[in-house]
Amino acid sequence: MSKRSAFWIFIIGTSISLAIFLWLTYDTHRQVDALTHTENLNDQVVAGKHVWEDKNCNNCHTILGFGVYYAPDLTNVYQRIGAEGIIAAVQRPEEVFGDSFRKMQNLNVTDQEAEDLVAFLEWTSYIDNNDWPPQDSDNRLSSEERRLAGTGLSRGAIAFKQNCMGCHSIGGAGGSTGPALDDIGDRYDASQIVKYIGDPASVEPGSKMPAQNGVSQEDREAIGEYLAKQGGGQ
Amino acid sequence: MMNDAASTTETSSAPAAEKFPYSSQFVAYWYFLVALSLFVLQIVLGIWLAISYGFTIPQDIVDVLPFGMTRAMHTNLLVLWLLLGFMGGAYYLVPEESQREIYSVKLAYLQLVILVVTGVAALIGFAFGWTQGRPILEIPTLLDFFIVIGALMFLFNIGMTILKGRKTAVTGMLLGGLVFLALLYLFGMPFYRNLTIDWFYWWWVVHLWVEGAWELVTAAILAFVLIKVTGVRREVVEKYLYLEVGLFLFTGIAGTGHHYYWLGTPDAWLWIGGIFSALEVLPIIAMVVDTFLTTRREGAKIKNKVVWYFAVGTAVGHMIGAGVWGFVHTLPQINYYTHGSQVTASHGHVAFYGAYVLLNLTMFWYAIPKLRGLARFKTSGAYWGFWIMGLSVLGLGTVFGVAGVLQTYIERVMSLGFMTAQEQMQFWFQIAIFFGVTLLIGALVTFWSMFIAKGARQPTDG
Repeated sequence: MSKRSAFWIFIIGTSISLAIFLWLTYDTHRQVDALTHTENLNDQVVAGKHVWEDKNCNNCHTILGFGVYYAPDLTNVYQRIGAEGIIAAVQRPEEVFGDSFRKMQNLNVTDQEAEDLVAFLEWTSYIDNNDWPPQDSDNRLSSEERRLAGTGLSRGAIAFKQNCMGCHSIGGAGGSTGPALDDIGDRYDASQIVKYIGDPASVEPGSKMPAQNGVSQEDREAIGEYLAKQGGGQ
Repeated sequence: MMNDAASTTETSSAPAAEKFPYSSQFVAYWYFLVALSLFVLQIVLGIWLAISYGFTIPQDIVDVLPFGMTRAMHTNLLVLWLLLGFMGGAYYLVPEESQREIYSVKLAYLQLVILVVTGVAALIGFAFGWTQGRPILEIPTLLDFFIVIGALMFLFNIGMTILKGRKTAVTGMLLGGLVFLALLYLFGMPFYRNLTIDWFYWWWVVHLWVEGAWELVTAAILAFVLIKVTGVRREVVEKYLYLEVGLFLFTGIAGTGHHYYWLGTPDAWLWIGGIFSALEVLPIIAMVVDTFLTTRREGAKIKNKVVWYFAVGTAVGHMIGAGVWGFVHTLPQINYYTHGSQVTASHGHVAFYGAYVLLNLTMFWYAIPKLRGLARFKTSGAYWGFWIMGLSVLGLGTVFGVAGVLQTYIERVMSLGFMTAQEQMQFWFQIAIFFGVTLLIGALVTFWSMFIAKGARQPTDG
């Protein structure tokens, strides 16, 4: 082969790839409004994106899986911990992550900035991104439920694992943001726990736990029943 | 081999009379010196990052020295020093290829000052929270303009030198790569309202740099070095240059799709990204085969063993880090679980080192002994540096890889919490601190033997 034909292979190969790439880029712009629900992308969401960038959030956290792996992915954080959870974490990190072995710095986030950030993260959580990340996927949870059902775990144990273990632990397994719940049954009965999940301060004034509005009533009852059995009593 | 190298002082650079034919090439010396110094600083910050992963940093320290700030410094230093290294490489090789002096030496020094001052201002700015907040592209818009000015001065200077001199495939490819590189930077500058579009164009900069424009620059620099140290005919080297770069761009441009799987972009990217990035390993294999086979077939006599060592190291490192690590991680079915985990960090470290750090060191080891006017230089430092740094980065890749697999399994497959996974990974980050320290030692050995080691005389020109 001569240098001249090598040159033309270079030109043609590059052009083909570039053509495919630019066509798909055009297609992306055509579809992105529907995929990211831009009808909800209002000025507050944009203000929240500015906060996200000004506070350098992305250099510890990932979002849509991009960024840095020092802290959890925040694509679906709005579904996981809700507005109150986000506000608590960004405004009082030294308390919320007080027991965690990895800390978050206090970024001096104002009330307005925190609300804008919530709007941004709420919008982000509805981006249609092929059901990533897997741990938040509806498909995965249903297959997980099937798997756990096969192991003979109760519905309450499954619901606890799915909804609570990011922050709480039992028998050493689970998160450390909230307290361990090994003896929770000694302190509360099932109905108090159900109430606690929906409105923590009504059961324990001053509780830092955000209300878990994303947990269905059936799951709350199952969790209450399951947790009430933890500990020596009842 | 290491003992052998350590015990002998061989004549490895060209005879003093050859040195460097054009006095303006000396500009490259300062680019290389700044670049390698920044590399050392980058590693120091990296060690601090590994400590932050491996141990609990108290709240009081986290509030003044947050992880995100030091991480921004770590990655920006990487980009800055690699680009300064490329620029120095260009200033060194273009006069020899074009057979004329650099268009303006003063402009070249002014450009270096602008870029370094801007870079230092950016690093200090990060410490005070002055940031655009997008990983790797954090430099605030105001400073971006200075970067653009510096880049334009560079392109003008190199472009004029090339256009007024002898035109070769090597300089054509180099100039093409550099213009492409500069154009892509512009896509990273605006504020995007939509996060999905924001990341979409972020990858135009980052992916199309490392798997596009930088590959052109790399291929051109490697071709120059191969012509110089192996004595293989220019015609043959340049033919393979076109074929390899053609394959790189054919697979690499559409291969950008492997970043668009979980972003809120159309599903077609899963197919295009998956297929083209699986093919991305081909040009890298071709580069290894080419480096070994052509030189053998052409009966090449290696004139500079150190440089040859690093050139082969670049080809092999490229294949391990970018090729193998990249290949396993970009199939959509695997990436669904590994995306956004420490697996990416593992890939990033091995790939950047294997491809671009070694490429820069290849050029440095070719040029610096000549620029320092050393007829003879001690090569043992080069070999020690090569092995200490290479094994350290492989060590880093391995511990990040193990941590990444743990994270993938615990967080993504078992659906346990992020911190639950991190607790299991902590041990591996403590080992990463060790490899960070050995990497620093390797970099210091390299720095010392490149710029300070005995036998140095005052540079004769410049």
